[in-house]
Amino acid sequence: MVEGEPAGSPERERRIVTTEIAEYHTIPSARRRLLIASKWLLQAAIVIVVAALVIWLGLAVREALARKGIHFSFGYLGNVANFSLSEGLVPSREGIWPVLEPFSPSHSNLQALFAGLWNSLKVALSAIVLCTIFGTLVGIGRLSTNWLVRNLCFGLVEAVRNTPLLIQIVFWYFAVVLRFPPASAASNWFGSLLVSRSGVYLPGLVISESAGFASWGLLAIAAASAVACLVLRGPRRRLILLAVTTAALIATALVGFPLGFDLPVATRFGARGGFALSPEMTALLLAIVVNSSAYVAEIVRGAIEALPKGQWEASASLGLSRSHTLRDIILPQVFRIVLPSLANRYISLTKDTSLGIAIGFPDLFNVYGTVSNQTGRNLEGVVIVMLTYLALSWIISACVNALNARVNGRGAR
Amino acid sequence: MSTVALRWLHRNLFAKPFDTALSLVVIPVLAWAVYAFAHWILVDAHWEVVGGSLKVLMTGIYPADQLWRAWFSVATLCAMFGAGLGLSVRPGRAALAVAAMVAAAIAGTIAAAVGVSASLLTIASAALGVVAWVAVHHSKCDQRVVLAGLLAGVVAIFVVLSPPGFEVWGGLLLSVVLTIAVSILTLPFGILLALGRQSRIASVRVISTAYIETMRSVPLILVVYWIWIIVPLLSPDTSVPSLLRGMAGYALFFAAYVAEYVRSGLQAVPKGQIEAARSLAMNSWTLNVDIVLPQALRVVVPSLVGQVLDIFNGATLVFIIGLTDFLRAGQMILADPQNSGRTYEIYVFLFAVYLAIGGAITYASRRLEAHLARGSR
Repeated sequence: MVEGEPAGSPERERRIVTTEIAEYHTIPSARRRLLIASKWLLQAAIVIVVAALVIWLGLAVREALARKGIHFSFGYLGNVANFSLSEGLVPSREGIWPVLEPFSPSHSNLQALFAGLWNSLKVALSAIVLCTIFGTLVGIGRLSTNWLVRNLCFGLVEAVRNTPLLIQIVFWYFAVVLRFPPASAASNWFGSLLVSRSGVYLPGLVISESAGFASWGLLAIAAASAVACLVLRGPRRRLILLAVTTAALIATALVGFPLGFDLPVATRFGARGGFALSPEMTALLLAIVVNSSAYVAEIVRGAIEALPKGQWEASASLGLSRSHTLRDIILPQVFRIVLPSLANRYISLTKDTSLGIAIGFPDLFNVYGTVSNQTGRNLEGVVIVMLTYLALSWIISACVNALNARVNGRGAR
Repeated sequence: MSTVALRWLHRNLFAKPFDTALSLVVIPVLAWAVYAFAHWILVDAHWEVVGGSLKVLMTGIYPADQLWRAWFSVATLCAMFGAGLGLSVRPGRAALAVAAMVAAAIAGTIAAAVGVSASLLTIASAALGVVAWVAVHHSKCDQRVVLAGLLAGVVAIFVVLSPPGFEVWGGLLLSVVLTIAVSILTLPFGILLALGRQSRIASVRVISTAYIETMRSVPLILVVYWIWIIVPLLSPDTSVPSLLRGMAGYALFFAAYVAEYVRSGLQAVPKGQIEAARSLAMNSWTLNVDIVLPQALRVVVPSLVGQVLDIFNGATLVFIIGLTDFLRAGQMILADPQNSGRTYEIYVFLFAVYLAIGGAITYASRRLEAHLARGSR
């Protein structure tokens, strides 16, 4: 609609009528019919040509594979994989209960692909959380009043954005992670974090054997009210829910906490207990987090600069400090603006996990390559992998869109 | 003088308690890091490994007796770069001095690392670039002539480099030539896709949109690898070199991104322009080629230059189809047991070169953006 012109204005009405007359009444009807027919013909012709091209491509590939004795079918997915992966969990059955277990060569090809997807998601999800935190910090650092911090952040962002991600990944792997001390001399951070070239070990969560039904129930109540406290609105309701959470947590602690920390203990060739990150995973995660943080920093900085300056001036005139302003006035507004850009970043980050193949990390693309090398089934494999990546992109943008609708829905400008 | 310095320090580093605390933490750490790095670069590092393997890093396994072809490409690239500069940047004294200093520094390094003849050839190439820069700027010739010249340059590089076979292309030369060729190939395809996505014919619109969205949600490495696999299946009788298959993969992938940039440019063209052209009874071809695209492309030139950086960075993925680009050449050198202790030297050199080229492209993109923004007002 043209600006400054109300929908029902006579001027607009007249123009619509004039256009209609021009389109439908000045052209003789026979010619008009011919025009419409030719339009339909054109549509049909284009669809047919493209469909024919795609079908021809598919058939030609299929035929070429058939000549090598490979016939298009997804049956190979059920066959035994016969290769091993350094990490990855697969769904399996234990009695009637579905469980996740480590991948072994006796699993099927489909389970191998699942293990690859599991590994990709493991890296992608951790990287999404970490790069959002670090990226925001660096983005704020870019606007710091401290000259040194400002320029350091600028240098970091430019250095990361102007070099290929692949060299960053191989650098982190070959020049950093593989140069960590060997497992027998792993550096120990506060007794809970072990760093060695055979992996990084974090404290893990374990379920204590003695936990009774009551403590689990109380913990569930605490978790449910904590989630409700985050989701529901209204200060009074929130206060009540917060009280419920605290009370339930205290009660759980009295009955006996069902979860405990499992600290890693160094051994000669690695570590026992705790939550282990393989060297490949460590390097890939470090590289992707640092790389994406730089992009997130630019998104956050751009959004902060795009806010009206009046916001800063108004809070300064109200006597708010700079950090207070940033935390309570600026960042809440920034997160409304940046969500769509962040969604794009998260999608590229998920696709970037496919570079793990350069350092031997068994992600989805790497496993696809192994499976299709072993079975010769590239066509089926690429269909699966492509659909998986498409689905991942859609899921990420759907999640962010839902979040976007929520934060921009109520109380927003 | 000292009061000015003190005031600067106070304002920029110690303005508030929080800033002071930050500075007190950052300054010692930074000073130590800079000292350690500088000490390593000047004293500890063994740079002979880079000098000794410069030929592999730059051209991969290109036959040594055919290196004149590589030098021809370097000279042509310099001339093309200079001609491109001539279109947008005035060769003022300061700019020329900077160019001369950069060329002298590179030539000096090469003279120390490889030999005098290579250094002389570098200087000659740089001089050719400067001549092209000044000539294009002063001749005031039409942009189209210069663009045609650039295209001819690319063709010439391909023709001269190809006789020893595409399999032997490698190193930085491969990365650069691949980037340039793919950047050019993506343009027409990307523009067609962008126009298709805005077409009035529904089927064209749907197909273009589906193509763009699919390509944008799968990883580059998958597309490149798959095209590389699929081409021999489609043409079992002729063998298409890996390089060309790889280029096709990159072009198909990046065309989707170019299409999105171009579409943003198309949306920036005022509707009145299209209506005016239609009321003059222009057909769709004339309308797009003479009215819409010149205005749309002008807006997206900075983004397209930024896209060249994405292609250059993506060019490292050619390892998946068995080609030896700059990064892969570095890794091959490190795979040699006698160089195993030189990891940091090689990686620092690779990072430095990538950063120099990437920084130059980013700078060019920002300059163009500022240049075009000034022109449109």
